[in-house]
Amino acid sequence: MTAIEITRAGPLTTLQDAGRFGMLAQGISASGPMDAGAFRAAGAMLEQAGSTAIEFTRAGLDFSVDGPVRAACAGGAFSLAVNGNRREWPARLGLDTGDVVSITPGAAGNYGYLRFDREIDVAPLLGSRSTNLTVGLGGFKRRALRAGDRIALGAMGAAVEAAAAVETEGPIRVLWGLHADLFDGAVRRGFVETVFQVSPSLDRMGIRLADPAQIFRGQRRLTLVSDAIVPGDIQILGDGTPIVLMRDHQPVGGFPRIATVVSADLDRLAQMRPGSDIRFRPVTLEHAR
Amino acid sequence: MADLIPTLLPLGDGAVLVRFSAELSDAANRAAVGLARRLTAEPITGVAEVAPGLVSVLLRLEPGVEFSRLRGEIMLRMGAADAPVAGQEREIAVRFDGEDLGEVAERLGFSREAFVARHNGAPLRLLATGFAPGFVYCGFHGSDLVLPRRESVRPMVPAGTVLFAAGQTAIAATPIRTGWHVIGTTTFQNFDPAADPPTRLRAGDTIRFRVAA
Repeated sequence: MTAIEITRAGPLTTLQDAGRFGMLAQGISASGPMDAGAFRAAGAMLEQAGSTAIEFTRAGLDFSVDGPVRAACAGGAFSLAVNGNRREWPARLGLDTGDVVSITPGAAGNYGYLRFDREIDVAPLLGSRSTNLTVGLGGFKRRALRAGDRIALGAMGAAVEAAAAVETEGPIRVLWGLHADLFDGAVRRGFVETVFQVSPSLDRMGIRLADPAQIFRGQRRLTLVSDAIVPGDIQILGDGTPIVLMRDHQPVGGFPRIATVVSADLDRLAQMRPGSDIRFRPVTLEHAR
Repeated sequence: MADLIPTLLPLGDGAVLVRFSAELSDAANRAAVGLARRLTAEPITGVAEVAPGLVSVLLRLEPGVEFSRLRGEIMLRMGAADAPVAGQEREIAVRFDGEDLGEVAERLGFSREAFVARHNGAPLRLLATGFAPGFVYCGFHGSDLVLPRRESVRPMVPAGTVLFAAGQTAIAATPIRTGWHVIGTTTFQNFDPAADPPTRLRAGDTIRFRVAA
């Protein structure tokens, strides 16, 4: 069977399909690609694509190929070489036995996607091949990929529609959140006016923000009923740290949430590197949809 | 009992939370469990997923669903607030050997034995599943069994850990970090990823705890 063998994997390299939807009532969040648009873009570059991608992180991914296969990679701006020859990014690749592909850190982004013209041959779990590393669920042996893993490729995939174009500049758009009314006016104004930075503490569960102006410092500690979380929720920890919850979020949480990033801007946020400035702009629901 | 009028709160642009109260109460939980059941029995077009919580129901929406239409459809599915929430009866055997048991009993003014007897004395309702796969909240204990959570979070407790706080007993079905008091363990497994559905307990079930033989 056609396969690839991973020869180098950055941390938190996982299998992700569109997501494990429909399991919230069981306490399982959907997972799925951190940059859903790039995930789709990689699929749309192929005439047909398997449902599942390898999601790699900033360090990139090296692999060798066993058997003829078409592949595409997209997301962020990585460096790419096939058998030592430099290629453009993103790329569609016709690969054959013995080819060596090297994806190395590039100019921008935290996540990239590698998709094939056929299905990654792991059994779906609860309707999905996505990996939830927090729980240790699904994907390739319930874990992140590492050097030495052989990923078998099975049945041919289906055509993938390209994602709609999204904003690539400007503040990250948000809707006021579940507990926005619990923050006083000055704090809400501060949230809109301040420039946060993406901190180095980011993963598939969430992105911690640096808040140099400390606008949430000294907020009285609230006791809230745990309520449903959605990707993009911005929760404020007891010490005032804001965290944007991402694809592997806890299904429910009890920290106050001031706002929720609109779905169209979540991919862009996921790709912002530590140190990037980030501002939020409240929009209306009509605008977001 | 007066009907609880829910608030519809957008959760981002892809979901709506139908919340019966901002505070935990028996009535709000019953209303949430009841509405979730009716939404499952009588689905609304454009609602992709329904998940009941402690005092609310999450509706995940397909793109383009109009919120104004949703409100009407949801209100049509509201039952009487005091309608009974019938579920399965479940008995769960617990070894009361948790490291916080002694402190919990003492702070509540009971001996360990008296605490366990009081804890198991009345059936609880399964309030919600959430936080982690198969993690369940059961309530409500009487007012003499209410303790706040711990000040600090334990690094990791194993699946099957029985937890206690805020007038509730919870069961971890996967390893988790927790700020709740650890009072025991159970061999009951509520989460099996190979099963469909992967959990056995449902919101609204009646839970009777007993001492494991």
